[in-house]
Amino acid sequence: MPPALAVDALTKDYLSPIKEPGLLGGLRALVNRRYKSSRAVDGVSFRIEEGELVGFLGANGAGKTTTLKMLSGLLTPTSGTALALGRVPWKREPEFQRRLSLVMGQRSQLWWELPAYETFRLNKEIYGLREREFRASLDELVAMLDLGEHLSVPVKKLSLGERMRAGLAAALLHRPRLLLLDEPTIGLDVVMQKKVREFVRGYNRREGAAILLTSHNMADVVELCRRVIVIERGRLLYDGPLETLVARFADHKILRARFSAPVDRARLAELGAVVDADADHATLHVPRARTAASAAALLRDFPVADLDVADVDIDDIVRRLFGAA
Amino acid sequence: MSKYLTAYSIALQETLQRRATLLMDRVGGFAVVLSLYSFWSALLGGKPSFLGYTRAQMLSYVLIINMLRSMVFTGRGWLLVGEISSGRISSYLVRPLSYHGYALSLDLAQKTVHAVSAVLEIGLLAALARGEVFVPRAASSWAAFALSAAMASLIFFFLEFAVSTLAFWTSESGGPLFCFELFLQFAAGAFFPLDVLPAALRRALEATPFPYMVYFPARLLLGQISGREAAARLAAQAGWLAVAAVLSLAVWRRGLSSYAAEGG
Amino acid sequence: MNGGFTRHARLWTRTASMSLQAQLTYRLGSAGFLLGKIVRFVFFFAFVAAVFRRTDRVAGYTLEQTALFFLTFNVVDMVAQVFFRGVYNARRVVNEGDFDFYLIQPVSPLLRMVCSSVDALDAATLVPVLALTCVLLRRLPGAGWLGAAAYAALTLNALALVFAVHVAVAALAVRTQELENAVWIYRDVMFMGRFPVDVYAFPVRLALTFAVPVAVMTSFPAKAYLGRLSPAWIAYAFALGAGATAAALAFWRSSVARYASSSS
Repeated sequence: MPPALAVDALTKDYLSPIKEPGLLGGLRALVNRRYKSSRAVDGVSFRIEEGELVGFLGANGAGKTTTLKMLSGLLTPTSGTALALGRVPWKREPEFQRRLSLVMGQRSQLWWELPAYETFRLNKEIYGLREREFRASLDELVAMLDLGEHLSVPVKKLSLGERMRAGLAAALLHRPRLLLLDEPTIGLDVVMQKKVREFVRGYNRREGAAILLTSHNMADVVELCRRVIVIERGRLLYDGPLETLVARFADHKILRARFSAPVDRARLAELGAVVDADADHATLHVPRARTAASAAALLRDFPVADLDVADVDIDDIVRRLFGAA
Repeated sequence: MSKYLTAYSIALQETLQRRATLLMDRVGGFAVVLSLYSFWSALLGGKPSFLGYTRAQMLSYVLIINMLRSMVFTGRGWLLVGEISSGRISSYLVRPLSYHGYALSLDLAQKTVHAVSAVLEIGLLAALARGEVFVPRAASSWAAFALSAAMASLIFFFLEFAVSTLAFWTSESGGPLFCFELFLQFAAGAFFPLDVLPAALRRALEATPFPYMVYFPARLLLGQISGREAAARLAAQAGWLAVAAVLSLAVWRRGLSSYAAEGG
Repeated sequence: MNGGFTRHARLWTRTASMSLQAQLTYRLGSAGFLLGKIVRFVFFFAFVAAVFRRTDRVAGYTLEQTALFFLTFNVVDMVAQVFFRGVYNARRVVNEGDFDFYLIQPVSPLLRMVCSSVDALDAATLVPVLALTCVLLRRLPGAGWLGAAAYAALTLNALALVFAVHVAVAALAVRTQELENAVWIYRDVMFMGRFPVDVYAFPVRLALTFAVPVAVMTSFPAKAYLGRLSPAWIAYAFALGAGATAAALAFWRSSVARYASSSS
């Protein structure tokens, strides 16, 4: 079986017209428009096997959406190759399109004035589903996404969460083998985020479909993805297990201490980096290898009332990663 | 006052900025005028006059239509509907600003550009027609026309405003607005002089404000109405203007309170 | 096209039904649009009829013959409104990203763009116009069966031309992501097709036949029926229809390719 995605040195340059200021500049641009080229995706390569669920991370403008657009066939790359389900996506062959779905956060393909069910039937025709397949798919999705009574209400009357779930159902009726999810939980409340995440995991397990997911919501990544791909300024920065990424960047542990008497801040600094301290409380970052020694020294030399040793938050790591970008 | 002047000047620049849109508007309007004139011209054939219009007067009527279309029928109704439906209107309502005044400033900016453009087009057409245009000599005709055209613009502004304001109650006010504008153009005489219509229908229309928007000012300029009758009709037009303004403000106020009641 | 005629036909039926349902939820809005179109039709018809109470020929055509031109224009124009309505939303479809969905789904994006909203209410107004046209065709002493066949064929050819125009407008929307007026300028220029092309002065007639072939879309079918169109002109019309359709489709394909290489 070919991999769900095989991406090799994928590169995309955008040409954008240079806007010259003023009326004169505008007139000059009419005659002789000048362009500047900017590289949105720069030689990205990776493979995703059938049934894998991979997180695709990067700061805003890192090239995530451009990559997803190329992989779904919306954009033609400047250079490089990609095979999605064994096909070149930007040829937009119907056989490929019938097995693909792209879900873009708040962009909905649902007809606003009509109940979602009507759009489902439209998608049945678009994907050429038989009545039986359509029914089976629909029943399953309605049950899993808890859509029951919302199907007969005009979409404009649904809440954001209901609309998002209905949109997911519309995108999955044809049981795609490759699912590209761009910010699937954006704008949802915590409970609804959890529902969507559970659904995505369930779909991945049940259908064995490959899923590539972008999100700024770290909970999505932590709960769903064992493997992550990180890009920065269009370049591949990391591709591997989430834990390794964490370990690589979490080179320190966090010591939080509460003191029974005031302590000397300068002496604390000998143990590690003091990130926060006042009269009876301090937070220190200490190198992983010296965690035990530092904790012991702290207990020995200071009037410690309470001590807590913690791992670095994954949120922090990823935020740091993006912050660096 | 200065804030409305600023709004006017910004809107003026913006209208000039969107040159492609402006050009297309003008070309489209020109096509309409050209076809009307051609039809009339074919009607006249070899005859000296038709319905009391000589060839020169008919050409003038069509050119005046072009002018009045630019001055009268260039409203912002659709934009207002959009602003109300999308809720963007709120950002204006919280400012120390009369929305009517603001909208009128923008409207006038658009009308200025279109009117100037219409004058240029008319000059070109008149030159092409080699003096076959009827040009009134009397200064009073020009003065009466200018006054009447200004009032016509304001009547249209207020009436269109009133219809667009329906958007406060329904998201579907685009439909009535569309219907209103089409009806208005016919009833005003923007496609053909109302003399064509059967007498009964014409009299019925003359009891409405619509003929005052094109037909009446055009006849003033052509010198077909003058003296006491012209004065009486101008007074009637002023009356309609007052009615339209009061109606528009009343609908606006009620709309605002219903909008506030629903919490936007 | 992505092949699969039956599937696209089913898709079209489905979209048509959804459009109708959506229109029915906007009762006031739809009623306004419908009424506006009826007003326009009735007024123009009344105008033409009123004119003929005072003359018996315009550009050599009788009332009934002129009516045939007017009705033919309406048939062509309304069919375009009913079936190619989607183009009016093209810019919004592109800007709001719906077009991205069209591109990744296994059906022709062109079909979805041009035919995505079928105006069912316009279809309702098309029926009486078609009936009226048939009645008129029977009453007019035409060029017999041959004339009728030519009329039908040229009307279809006119629809091909109108389709080409709409495809080009949709392609422009994809290519430039602005130019909202492209379709409106078409509407304005089409206005000239309400009258027989013979009313226009020679240079205008030339332009309407070759440059912006409104005459081929609206006047040619009626002229053929009345036996006033030579085979050479008929041949020209078909060649133009085929050429324009091919060119528009090529332009569409190149615009989509460009969209895929440059959109952000």
